[in-house]
Amino acid sequence: MTTKGTWEIGEIYFPFTEAFKISLENIKKRFVRAAITTAAVVLGIAFLNSLMFMSAITRIALPESQAQAQAYQLWLLFISLLVCAVGITNSMLIAVAERYKEIGTMKTLGALDRHILIMFLNESIIIGGLGGILGYIFGLIAAIVYGIATLGVGFGEIGLALSQPAELLPFLSTLPSAVSLFILSLIISIFLSMAATLYPAYYAAKLNPAEALRYEV
Amino acid sequence: MRYEYTVETEDLAKYYYMGKYVVKALDGIDLKIRRGEYVSIMGPSGSGKTTLFNMIGGLDRPTRGKVYIDEVDISKLDAYELAWLRARKIGYIFQTFNLIPVLTALENVMLPMIFVGTPREQRIKKATELLTIVGLGDRLHHKPAELSGGQQQRVAIARALANDPAIVLADEPTGNLDLHTGLEIINLLRTLNKEKGVTIVTATHDLKMIDVSDRIIYLRDGKISRIETRAEVTVEL
Repeated sequence: MTTKGTWEIGEIYFPFTEAFKISLENIKKRFVRAAITTAAVVLGIAFLNSLMFMSAITRIALPESQAQAQAYQLWLLFISLLVCAVGITNSMLIAVAERYKEIGTMKTLGALDRHILIMFLNESIIIGGLGGILGYIFGLIAAIVYGIATLGVGFGEIGLALSQPAELLPFLSTLPSAVSLFILSLIISIFLSMAATLYPAYYAAKLNPAEALRYEV
Repeated sequence: MRYEYTVETEDLAKYYYMGKYVVKALDGIDLKIRRGEYVSIMGPSGSGKTTLFNMIGGLDRPTRGKVYIDEVDISKLDAYELAWLRARKIGYIFQTFNLIPVLTALENVMLPMIFVGTPREQRIKKATELLTIVGLGDRLHHKPAELSGGQQQRVAIARALANDPAIVLADEPTGNLDLHTGLEIINLLRTLNKEKGVTIVTATHDLKMIDVSDRIIYLRDGKISRIETRAEVTVEL
């Protein structure tokens, strides 16, 4: 509490639970677009997981092949994650433009720049987290189907492949690949989603309330 | 604490630079608004009403001059202090209502109280009271899309009063409402002004507002062209 002339200036709060609730409601309101954005994350992460799991299963099924993800596959993976990030940025920029008035209003009610930033980053964490989990599941299923259909392996061998440490992962190397890839998927998808949202969210947070309110959609 | 003037402006000016041209949206406004007054700012569109509204409300910074709210010069405030000013000292009402679409009426009224840290129980109690006062006691859990324009503006009025502000600023509060609903909103504002002693400043060109205002300030090209007090207005009628 500080004083300024006749005023006693107090704290400004915006508890995380309240911010999270508003973010969740906003995602629900724009469900289709959020679903499409999430689907992009799911595809990217599913690709990553199927690649990793397939090479793990191949190594168990055909030990002499020394199968590893090929360079071009990693390149494709990189491109797919990049496309996904661009998609998220685009979608979030639209979300900000649609909500100029809402952002302006929040600021007239006392919201600080960082509160606006947190609201948008929350949305990206929800989308990224969900995309990561679903992408992991789909990638795993794809790899198992590939293993059974193409390599003719059984569930025992797949179990063995999943319980061994994953290749190409210097960290998390003591964990079975099923666990380490899950963690990796979540880290990548949430990081990607947050990084892609940073610019739109920062732009929204810095909006001058008078300008934001003047904006007609 | 009581101060004679809730709002005071000194030589207030706002210029917009459009290439070579300077648009003088406000050009030297001296204004004093007493606590508990109901003041209407009138003028044609483009006369600077909304700019004045933004300056008094701490939403934009003036090019020149000073704005005092409860005797503090708000052009000297930092971002945090401005946010506190907007949360605590000023309640805003807009032409387009500007409720948060994903929140219910009750949650919309509770939002400003979240920012100043009112405990949850108290928030619910106060928001319910305010919504009952504006006549929406039976619409607490409706979202804005489920309410009519007049009802949305009532929620906005309740929200503006949530933190017991020093002034309520209303920018064209009846601009999007039909004649009858507009009159209801004006009467509600007047009642709140009389009964709760809320200082109300409206920017408007709705002539219905004249009847209820203590003072009417006419703006033209960013300058005050005329000020009428209630007595004079009545005589004119």
